[in-house]
Amino acid sequence: MILVIDALNKHKFPHIMDEMFRLRARVFGDRMGWDVTIKNGMERDKFDDMDPSYAVGLDDEGRVVSCVRALQTTGPHMLADVFSAILNGEPPLRSATIWESTRFCVDTKRLGRGKGRSSVSYATCELMIASLEAAKEAGVTDIVTVIDPLMDRILKRSGNTPYGYVGKQADMGKVPALAALLDCTEERIARIRAFAEIHHDVFIAEDEILAAQNYQPAAQPARSSAKIIDLAGYCTEQIDAALTEKERGAALALQRVLFDKFHSTRACNA
Amino acid sequence: MAITDLMDHLDLSFVPERKDPFKELLLKTRDKFGLDHVAYAGFNPISGTTHGHVTYDDRWTQHYASQGFFRIDPTLIEARRSVAPVDWSRLEHTANFKAVFRDAHDFGITDTGLTIPVRGPYGDIGGLSVTSELSQTEWGKLKRHIISDLQQAAANVHDLVMQANPLMQALTSPQLSTREVEILQWTAAGKSQQDIGDILSISHRTVEVHLRSSRQKLHALTTAQAVGRAIALGIVGPG
Repeated sequence: MILVIDALNKHKFPHIMDEMFRLRARVFGDRMGWDVTIKNGMERDKFDDMDPSYAVGLDDEGRVVSCVRALQTTGPHMLADVFSAILNGEPPLRSATIWESTRFCVDTKRLGRGKGRSSVSYATCELMIASLEAAKEAGVTDIVTVIDPLMDRILKRSGNTPYGYVGKQADMGKVPALAALLDCTEERIARIRAFAEIHHDVFIAEDEILAAQNYQPAAQPARSSAKIIDLAGYCTEQIDAALTEKERGAALALQRVLFDKFHSTRACNA
Repeated sequence: MAITDLMDHLDLSFVPERKDPFKELLLKTRDKFGLDHVAYAGFNPISGTTHGHVTYDDRWTQHYASQGFFRIDPTLIEARRSVAPVDWSRLEHTANFKAVFRDAHDFGITDTGLTIPVRGPYGDIGGLSVTSELSQTEWGKLKRHIISDLQQAAANVHDLVMQANPLMQALTSPQLSTREVEILQWTAAGKSQQDIGDILSISHRTVEVHLRSSRQKLHALTTAQAVGRAIALGIVGPG
């Protein structure tokens, strides 16, 4: 599930933000060897201080497994500045309906192979779907994304082949980087969804995350399938017993989180 | 830099006698998209000035200024820190939100609306806010229909307001890439997007994206206008 975090709601998710910066340090610093600044195990740059929008992928336990960052191309962004080598010193694209996407990454250590819910492939596609859908919802029709050649190959085999590139491939450390163009259309989103067999809404509302975080102690016993069945009953009781809208929202959110667990359990058994 | 302090300048353009060259632009935007009201507020860090232009009637703008709402209005202060447009239903109903919208309601202004944040290359920021009297369902439909064009309109209004400052104008003379110039030149020569894609061995959507970027940089609404301006500026030859 994907949570969208920006300047308006980031104060509610300090823990998720830190986890995201740690994931970026592991991926861009340790694994890819990009020339990035890491402090206290977290990778941040000046663009993180410019109120970007993030799409953050969370697993069923609420841990960060993927993330990506979006900025408007009308304002300061990476291609205009630190990635200018890709553009050969040329001015970048500038349009209100083109966003720049950077720091796309997935936790390959925590996630497995194959195409199941806890695979690298699933997390990657879920995040791609979310980025395209969020952009489309905002009236943005194209994304220019700074990626490495491996990510370029991943895009191509997930039904998300770039329709073009700007500039040239340039060295960013151990690996080169390039700027690919993606249209935010139904067709592209449908191709990725079909490839990954993801047909549900990939977004989770911030209220649901907050409610689920509050309910974590109660959710922990959900280990064996027998207890999961007990919890299903517990959820129903909690929903019925809710006195306020907030309580009811929290109970519903818990049910949804646990429902995802049933799903993943079934998927693993299958 | 404290933006709220600079927002004090906002009421300058709210003086009714003052001729507002941007009001016409906002009125056209309002009519084109079937909206109730359109308002723009932006901050120019080069000149240190804040600019506001609205289609609201003078009674509300004067009340708004006299109450100092520009210091607390979440559709200004909060929403423009976003990357995506902010539907006002997303804003928390804080004391500030209630203070502004309780009074707005008395002046017949709804809290159904959204703000499109705009960022420019020099730290200039702005926001185009629009309101609607439609029901939430109808508003949702209208929003989906117009959001892309409204994004372009917001950036255009912002760029034009910022360009009104001579120093800003000098700084932001259109910076087109070689590819953008090349595509404009082929367009001036009468080639279609498909033709140009074939000539340059790139997809026609890549051609379109470069043209869209050129239009933004030249503050042109159409490709024809962009070609005209590029010729006038000596960026491309006349076909």
